[in-house]
Amino acid sequence: MANRTDPAAKSIRGTNPQNLVEKILRSKIYQHTYWKEQCFGLTAETLVDKAMELDHLGGTHGGNRKPTPFMCLVMKMLQIQPDKDIVVEFIKNEDYKYVRVLGAFYLRLTGTDIDVYRYLEPLYNDYRKLRRKLADGKYTLTHVDEVIDELLTHDYSCDIALPRVKKRWTLENIGSLEPRKSALEDDFEEEEEKDEEDQLVAGLEDDGHGKDYYRGRSPARERDRDRKRDSHRYRDRDYDRDYERDYDRDRGRGRDRDRDRDRDRDRDRDRDRDRHRLREDKEYGRDREWEGRERDRRDRDRGRRRSPSRSRSRSRDRKDRDEERRKRHARSSASPRRRGDRPEDASTRDEPKKKKEKKDDGTDHPDPEIAAANKLRASLGMKPLK
Amino acid sequence: MIEVVLNDRLGKKVKVKCNEDDTIGDLKKLVAAQTGTRADKIRIQKWYNTYKDHITLKDYEIHDGMGLELYYN
Repeated sequence: MANRTDPAAKSIRGTNPQNLVEKILRSKIYQHTYWKEQCFGLTAETLVDKAMELDHLGGTHGGNRKPTPFMCLVMKMLQIQPDKDIVVEFIKNEDYKYVRVLGAFYLRLTGTDIDVYRYLEPLYNDYRKLRRKLADGKYTLTHVDEVIDELLTHDYSCDIALPRVKKRWTLENIGSLEPRKSALEDDFEEEEEKDEEDQLVAGLEDDGHGKDYYRGRSPARERDRDRKRDSHRYRDRDYDRDYERDYDRDRGRGRDRDRDRDRDRDRDRDRDRDRHRLREDKEYGRDREWEGRERDRRDRDRGRRRSPSRSRSRSRDRKDRDEERRKRHARSSASPRRRGDRPEDASTRDEPKKKKEKKDDGTDHPDPEIAAANKLRASLGMKPLK
Repeated sequence: MIEVVLNDRLGKKVKVKCNEDDTIGDLKKLVAAQTGTRADKIRIQKWYNTYKDHITLKDYEIHDGMGLELYYN
């Protein structure tokens, strides 16, 4: 029968590999026309051809939860269970990004913890854009490194519950993995050195906004220029523009014009740095200060190119960054603030207070059942019961 | 505040307290919190009408004590 797992396949995590996908989704895939037409009798080689034709990833969509071809191919891989070398080849190939993501997804489902970290972490350096289909059928923009991040940090992706992997620091503690070597580590040290030089230089230009401002004029530019990264290739101009429009906070402060261009280009890299900084917070203590600097610099860098065409794709990340920014601002008190940040702080400080009041109103209800219900509602973001 | 009963005829019967102006999506979140399934895996139906996420309970005329069918995606 076409839906049976290859009899020579090993069992994954104690069960038939196809059971990694849960029953309802599995039946949906079996009934789908893509599966029936295209995925019949696929082998590892022909699967590659099919994978090259992929143009979006995603889980299920629509009212009756139709699976995407991406899902069907994942299922096929689980069924035929290709060798690890083949999967690693999928991941290592640079030409077809969807093949890469397919391999990464499969490895995340079936590989050991160490393999997962070892093969998926290099993919953080891949910044290419991907198309993702959402549950309501619409497409959204995402990037390879975002998808990898989701695979490594969340336990649910594309409508499949990902098996648990041990945390990275656990593996580091027992010595199976080396501490994460970020590709940006060298840049850190350079930046710290140049920081002091910059402070002297910046003293002349500055209008006295304080330490943050000095640090803000970080020499990240030069550092980034020095960086040899393949990711250069993958950066589209659109990508730069998308990032620029996010920083609507502050106006330019009479910067040198020729600095702006480099700054704009490199801002997105700083942003990415922040992203993984956020995750690695526990591991790299120096990040806190670094992020503060980054953020201030970003805020001040009002590129001339505030492009009118805004894509909404980064709104999620922006929200995350904003939250993180607010938290940090709330905590740090010594550094003098810029005009632009003040109202932002004031308003966001009000919001949590207000929310708290609402919560209190709900959960203060005399009836304990209703109070408990209100607490649940508040945690889900809903208003209390009437 | 109304209380709605959801039954999946396989052993799961949950009573959920909610407002009339909550949407079906909110109701699914509450049900998910109580049953442990994920909210996007839940489907709420009444006979063959699948209830859509963005419409409120009031618009569907779901009253206090009414029973709904719980299915899974």
